[in-house]
Amino acid sequence: MSETFADIPMIDARERVTGAIPMTIDQAMPGMAHVKVVRSPVPHGLIRSIETSEAARMPGVRAVLTGASLAELGVDPYYGGLRNDQPVLAIDKVRHEGEAVALVVADTEAQAEEAAGWIDVDFEELPFVTDAREAMTPEAPPIHDEWPDNDCGTWRLRHGDIETGWALADRVYEAEYTSPPASHVPMEPHVALARFEGDVLEVWTAAQAPYMVHTALKKTFGLPDERLRIKTFNLGGGYGAKGGVKIEPLVACAALAAGCPVRLVLTRPEVFNTLGKHAAHIALRTGVKTDGTIVARRVRAVFNAGAYAVSSPLGAGQAMTRASGPYRIPHVWIDSTARYTNTVPTGPFRGAMTSQLCWAYEQQMDDIAHDLGIDPIEIRRRNLLSDGDEFITGEKMHDVHFDELLDDVTEAIWSRGPADPAPAGRARGRGVAVMIKSTLTPSRSEARLRLDDDGMLTAFCATVEMGQGAGTTLMQMTAAYTGVPIERITIPLPDTFQAPFDTTTASSRATFSMGAAIKDAARKLKDELAGLAEEHLTTTAGELRFEGGTVFRAAAPERAVSYADLLREAELPALEVEGVFQSEGGMATLDPETGQGQASVHWHEGAVAVEIEVDLQTGKIEVLNCHGACYAGRVISPTRVRQQNEGNIIFGLGQALFEELVYDSGQLVNPNLSDYMIPSILDIPKRLTSSAVESLEPDPDVHGVGEMTIPCIAPAIGNALFAATGVRIHDLPMTPERVLRALRAREEAS
Amino acid sequence: MTDRMPALLNINGEKVETEISNSDFLLETLRDLGLTSVRGTCGIGICGTCTVLVDGRAISSCITLTALHEGREIVTSEGLVGPNGALDEVQERFVENNAFQCSYCIPAMVLMVRAYLDGTEDPTVEGAREALGGNLCRCGTYPQVLEALEALIPEDPV
Repeated sequence: MSETFADIPMIDARERVTGAIPMTIDQAMPGMAHVKVVRSPVPHGLIRSIETSEAARMPGVRAVLTGASLAELGVDPYYGGLRNDQPVLAIDKVRHEGEAVALVVADTEAQAEEAAGWIDVDFEELPFVTDAREAMTPEAPPIHDEWPDNDCGTWRLRHGDIETGWALADRVYEAEYTSPPASHVPMEPHVALARFEGDVLEVWTAAQAPYMVHTALKKTFGLPDERLRIKTFNLGGGYGAKGGVKIEPLVACAALAAGCPVRLVLTRPEVFNTLGKHAAHIALRTGVKTDGTIVARRVRAVFNAGAYAVSSPLGAGQAMTRASGPYRIPHVWIDSTARYTNTVPTGPFRGAMTSQLCWAYEQQMDDIAHDLGIDPIEIRRRNLLSDGDEFITGEKMHDVHFDELLDDVTEAIWSRGPADPAPAGRARGRGVAVMIKSTLTPSRSEARLRLDDDGMLTAFCATVEMGQGAGTTLMQMTAAYTGVPIERITIPLPDTFQAPFDTTTASSRATFSMGAAIKDAARKLKDELAGLAEEHLTTTAGELRFEGGTVFRAAAPERAVSYADLLREAELPALEVEGVFQSEGGMATLDPETGQGQASVHWHEGAVAVEIEVDLQTGKIEVLNCHGACYAGRVISPTRVRQQNEGNIIFGLGQALFEELVYDSGQLVNPNLSDYMIPSILDIPKRLTSSAVESLEPDPDVHGVGEMTIPCIAPAIGNALFAATGVRIHDLPMTPERVLRALRAREEAS
Repeated sequence: MTDRMPALLNINGEKVETEISNSDFLLETLRDLGLTSVRGTCGIGICGTCTVLVDGRAISSCITLTALHEGREIVTSEGLVGPNGALDEVQERFVENNAFQCSYCIPAMVLMVRAYLDGTEDPTVEGAREALGGNLCRCGTYPQVLEALEALIPEDPV
């Protein structure tokens, strides 16, 4: 049976508006001291010495730690999800400007900051590299001795036979596209608190993945599960910045060294120095028939991993599977690599390892269409994947709705007929882009449901609420799957002492994976309740129903018995069940030589169309009209789906039009919100709409919707700019200066 | 630098006796007093999440010293809520229009709109939007904020 869902507002709407929702930054531990981090001013260097004796004598100071003194604490000083390459504090050398070198714990933040200023680090500077393609060359300085050529993960995909593909092609197109490094800018900075309570290490942190923190700290401190407790609160924004493990090992080591609870809140420049988006260089070569059919595509993708691996070794592979776009292409050859550089480590970033590629393949698609005289919408229609098509990984595609997405967005923007004429000195144009993205595979979600004998149900799960409304959405699903009214359901904040394992709240997987785990648990709960209800259900006629916190046969609703009564009769104070969702396959199972296999449990689908106006005197782009669409499988909350689709577009407008981290001499020169701007309410499209395509199947997968439109916004604008002016920008962001230069260059050429 | 001195602040209509130092910023003083709807982000007065009202004017509390505000009327989001829990009209419209996601920036936006309405004779949606130009939201919940403004400020039919 298919459940129904009402569009329920977030249950804590009032507290969200007044500011009363609990966040990590609001938390305190009794008797806590404060941590301040000393960071490297050089991008690459050997640590000759660190002088800490003056700092240690400063008022209020409880502990001073360096990379060398970590060993005395008896902890494993390295962490990292995929490669164990990141030191809690730099050991022997630093690999990026802003890297943590030492820390001070003091009674007050001011004392910690004052003392940190007295720590003197002597560096021997080394040659540095900030560009990933330079980092691949033999002349580049080695950043990690154990990883030659600064290789942070290299993948290849060979599908069909590329030479056959080129031979089939009537024309071949070749171009390069770049994306700069960028920053997530969650408004709430990274913040964590830690204490040793008896023999239990307790860490409260603003993190998207409590169990990744749990796994990392188990290793750092060699603790068994029962001696490690991770709690998270409502996040003030994540977008990937708070995925994996960030400041938690450092904060926990500080607590151990100081012998008291501690707290660390990063300053805004420190947030910029903690994680960023992968800069990328994409070289794209595409062979097509004159009717626009794509027959061959070669992609060479180089991603800047920054100084530490984080998720890049896997990310380069995920990028590979997304690199040729949502198209049916028989002959594909992809090389995708991430390289270490002396810059801020990079990792998951809303639309991760997809936006950089979509920027390339969707702009080239319009160039091909233009050259062949085919309409940009029509050329997509001829190539988009459909159900049953073979993907570049050899997978048979299912649940594919690209045609509908293309219809949705183009109708919204093109249906008004030709663009209104632009005012003098301006030009108007329309553009579209479509994207495909895998979800994290394999991954696992577990949920535990506890039904008490008063009829109240608690769902324990480690999914993190970060504004996407997962808390309320999962409550709606719990209600629908268990038959317990939503007002009798509670989902506590994640706490690893209560909530079972979940991989992470990322990759648009929470509603899909945790929803499935809850569904599995609900099925077990209903089985148990059905057993308890047997003597009440005197008839066997009609379907067994679980509604309103009662169970009954459809033929005899008057014999309904409440869950609470069933538990009390059986003298059970509570019923507990656990549910699991586990996906299989994924990057590690692909053939390493050819990239063939099942890369993703299902594929995310999104599209955006825009109408823009360009000021020909200044080069400034304004988005007049924009529509984004995603495939949702099944919509649980239309409001929250809309907020994701439209929020994505607004977030992505920043990277499309002005966001860029700038390095000069290895120094990040704009780690603040004055020099690194993000979109304000004055920057959003004049008219912004969105839609979600649902499956017509009876019980479809619920797809996540967290990042379906973000990869499309930049190339859609790029295509609209081309339609308006004939100018093609290959390098993000499309700043007024860059657009104006391109307009002038074209003028001079003609 | 850490010399503490007594201070008498007027916060949300109440006299609050506390201790401050000359170098304390208003943001931290308010948060230390438990007013955690006031939140820091940029630390340089750009992003608006630390907005508070001082004598009815919206200011960034992260770049102003507490000592400068003794005797002035300071209002935070907590102060907009009535004694029986009734929400301010601006808060009501934000709730009704789902004008929030992670919500870190939202209490400050509410205060900015409150200051705009109180300080403007003929408020307009466009005027309120301009006033919010310095209140950043990374989730991109601006469309819902605009809908809250439209519900809050009925435009005269032209």
